[in-house]
Amino acid sequence: MAAMDKRHKETTKKIKLIMKDICNDVLSEKKMPSFDITKIGYDNTVWSEAKRMLTVGTKTVHISPDTTKKIPTFSQYVVMSNAVRKLLDEQMESTIRGMYYATLSTVGDEKNKQKFWTSQDASDDAIKAVELLTGVPREEFSVTSKPKGMISGPILLRVGGDIIDCNLGSRATSQLIPTNIMDVEIVDVKADFVMVVEKDTVLNNIRKSGFIQKYNAILMTGSGEPDRATRMMVKTLNEVWKKPVVVFADADPWGLGIALRYKIGSESLSYDSDRLVTPDAKVLGMMFSDIYDYSIPEVARLTASEEDLNRASDMKKKQWLKEKKWQKELSLFLKNKEKCELDAFFKHGFRYLAETYLPQKLRASGIL
Amino acid sequence: MASSSTIQLGSSSIAQTNSKAKINFSKKAESEFFVDNSALAGFTGERILYMAIRELIENSLDSCEAERILPKIAVSLKLIDPLIDLWSISCEDNGIGIRSDKVSIAVCSFLTSGKYVEQQQRGLFGVGLKMIAAFSTKDTDHPLRVWSKSAEEAKEYYFELRTDIGTNKPIVLTKRDTKPKESILRGKSGFRIEAVLRGRLSPITKNRIHDYISQTSIVNPYAVISFSTDDGKITFDRRTTIMPEPAKEVLPHPADMDLKTLKKAIGNHALQKTTIQGILCNSFQKLSFDKAKEIIRIAGIEAKQADKYNEHELIKIVNICRQTKFQSPNVDHLSPIGERIFTVGMSAERSIFTRKENSISEDHLQPRISTKEMKPALTGYSSRACIINNRPTIVECGLAYGGNLSYFKLYRFANKIPLLYDEGSDVAREVISEVELNKMGVSKKQVKEQFSGLDSRSDRAIDLLPIHIFFHICSTKIPYKTAGKESIASEGELKKYMKACLSDLYRKVSKQIRHEMHLKDTENRLKLYRYYIPLIVDAISESIDVSAEDLTKSFLTLVERHVKKEVSHSPSLKVNAESHTAHNVRGLHESSRSKEASLVSKSSKPLKIKHVDTTQEKIENFITPSEESR
Repeated sequence: MAAMDKRHKETTKKIKLIMKDICNDVLSEKKMPSFDITKIGYDNTVWSEAKRMLTVGTKTVHISPDTTKKIPTFSQYVVMSNAVRKLLDEQMESTIRGMYYATLSTVGDEKNKQKFWTSQDASDDAIKAVELLTGVPREEFSVTSKPKGMISGPILLRVGGDIIDCNLGSRATSQLIPTNIMDVEIVDVKADFVMVVEKDTVLNNIRKSGFIQKYNAILMTGSGEPDRATRMMVKTLNEVWKKPVVVFADADPWGLGIALRYKIGSESLSYDSDRLVTPDAKVLGMMFSDIYDYSIPEVARLTASEEDLNRASDMKKKQWLKEKKWQKELSLFLKNKEKCELDAFFKHGFRYLAETYLPQKLRASGIL
Repeated sequence: MASSSTIQLGSSSIAQTNSKAKINFSKKAESEFFVDNSALAGFTGERILYMAIRELIENSLDSCEAERILPKIAVSLKLIDPLIDLWSISCEDNGIGIRSDKVSIAVCSFLTSGKYVEQQQRGLFGVGLKMIAAFSTKDTDHPLRVWSKSAEEAKEYYFELRTDIGTNKPIVLTKRDTKPKESILRGKSGFRIEAVLRGRLSPITKNRIHDYISQTSIVNPYAVISFSTDDGKITFDRRTTIMPEPAKEVLPHPADMDLKTLKKAIGNHALQKTTIQGILCNSFQKLSFDKAKEIIRIAGIEAKQADKYNEHELIKIVNICRQTKFQSPNVDHLSPIGERIFTVGMSAERSIFTRKENSISEDHLQPRISTKEMKPALTGYSSRACIINNRPTIVECGLAYGGNLSYFKLYRFANKIPLLYDEGSDVAREVISEVELNKMGVSKKQVKEQFSGLDSRSDRAIDLLPIHIFFHICSTKIPYKTAGKESIASEGELKKYMKACLSDLYRKVSKQIRHEMHLKDTENRLKLYRYYIPLIVDAISESIDVSAEDLTKSFLTLVERHVKKEVSHSPSLKVNAESHTAHNVRGLHESSRSKEASLVSKSSKPLKIKHVDTTQEKIENFITPSEESR
């Protein structure tokens, strides 16, 4: 806890430094205050061959109230910085939604009133800006999101003072992955490997089948787009605890995209890839070729939308998918225009996914 | 049986019809005709009082302008018997008056007018004043009271008159010269009429009368017009002593010739025994003796004394003339308002408004009228001369922008008379919707963004702008759309010329409007800073130890400097506006006066359809009223 306090103090200090800079600009230098922060997004994301992940580029954004458009942004960042400082002073933690509410206000006079935040997205962006300004990830200043990642299997966590055993014998439920990761510590991992699936429904099915006990595995899911806590947990298990990680997602461009979040990172969080990405994770399925190799009946296949096809053709051009295997898969998809969810295996029986498909895939890749 | 009975029935019905269709041919006096068809002259139901005031003011203005007398007109409208809607209406002017021997017929006999000439005037038909006399005679037992002092007699006469509607003749009840003690006309000449009329004054009519008077004052800023009512008295002061060149009487143009005009011309020369060629070149403009000979030659008619030709021969001449190309008619008979006078009118347009006041004696609110003056930030003027329906026509267009104008308004005038009804069907409305706003250098979107805060009843962008547009059409034959003479039709190329004028003005205001939008934008930006700075300062002063007051002060100074600096960097009117020093203004006036003169003195040359403004003037035309008054 003492270490934590020190980090909090550092963050507070950094925030105050930014404030002081603004004051200095206005009071002494008599110039428009400004700061440059790293640009977030696809146009400032570069593929690093060495790191095998998406990393942030060198572009920056000039944040200053020098134009009408930028006045609200500048104010939002300053207001959010102050809110984070307050949160740390009060030794509390908050979700990103909580921060949105804490800073809600209106701007203008009676005649011309507008909202300070147009939506929570704007406040989320401001939180990201504080991360970039201070160089401290938001988990370290106790701003978290609602937990949605899940974990099940022989792993022992300590959250704050409480020990949580995720190896739940009943097979009936999973443990939510806490988002206040600064308070979470992995105590022990007994599993041989970690299997990440796209959706919680699939995770439930696999868990119920007794897969965890049979193969001594840890099951995880981000329930769609994984949050940071889930990604960090996967990375820690792989790099600190040296457990192999495999990822299964739906056989569509969207699912492939989610699987790649774990393996290479994402454009919107490329500035934090070093903490979040697990380059050694193996994306094993569901492959487009699996639709045909495992004879998924036609009724269980879905027709690809225009958007899917565009996304797939984009992906095909990406450096990180230049591997022959992926090129072949994407070509197959673009040719057949068919996609498929992992749930489609239930057509072959409720135990088929966990007892036939997954073991076969794992064996083929040498995990089992 | 059946067939014979049918025949019988048929024959009897024919006999019946014959007996009923016995038509009595009788002549109706002009006065009776106009009283029976009062709508022809616009005297209908609720409009009677409005029309009466209108006719009286127009007569007075014409009377003054004929001799370049600066008009001073006093109109009054007072209720004398609310039970039977009896009103006393009076109008007094300092015009040329009417000779005592002509007063009675000028006031009472329909279709008697000194205005039957080819010359631009407000009234043309010799009906308006007579209508008042006839209605007064018809509905009341009060005589018309008239005081007249004509310039040539220099003596004031007093009359009490009524109209014999059956014969179109005046009944003179009293005629005497007033003793110096009793005389009421102060000037060298003048005319005063008092009539009692029966009519209803609805709130709408009342507003129309107010609009009529205030709009008249816009195009006649050289006139003093006072208006007294039971709601109080208001006076529109004279704002300039310049008067438009009076219209001159001109000869008819041969392209407009018909059998009637030709025979009239021959009749005028009956005693002189001249040739037809002589009559042609003396009675029509733009027709030389050689040209007249040529026309006669083509017509193939023999040479004889002019009054010996029969109609079959004369119509040949008319037909040839209609096919022959002549020089364009001159515009001496037109009297445009001119840039300078127009500008004075637009720079201080006044409107009458009624407010309710608590009167001390009674409980109810007493309406009082007063005037409100508009001060636009700038005005522009543009004009075009053109030929519409073979008649020379001058289109004048004015535009007032900004200042304390708060909404869009269109003013229409024809021969200096305001047109108040049927705006929607007027060609001017079409012109405005067809001339693109981007001629001002702004987009509809920008206009909507910047001006939508004003009370907007319409989503047409032009309606959002604080702009007043004025159209004045002068011609001896205005292409009215209806007999009511309240809207102008899109005749010939009229619309094209009106559009050209409006486009000029849009271009002229472009710089200013963009500048204003820029200022508005700056203001909005400063406002935005003022909104956000407290949030920023609060956040900072909560986090670190700094005086919120000092920080706010410094921040505000900083952003003001920041915003202003950006303003001066961007293109603005400032430099131009400042260079409009007094001598520039004087220069403009001279140039505008010479232009007015040129419009009239160009008569010997063919009237070319041309752009009246020169580029030089275009640039100089931007004077704000404040600068002008300097």
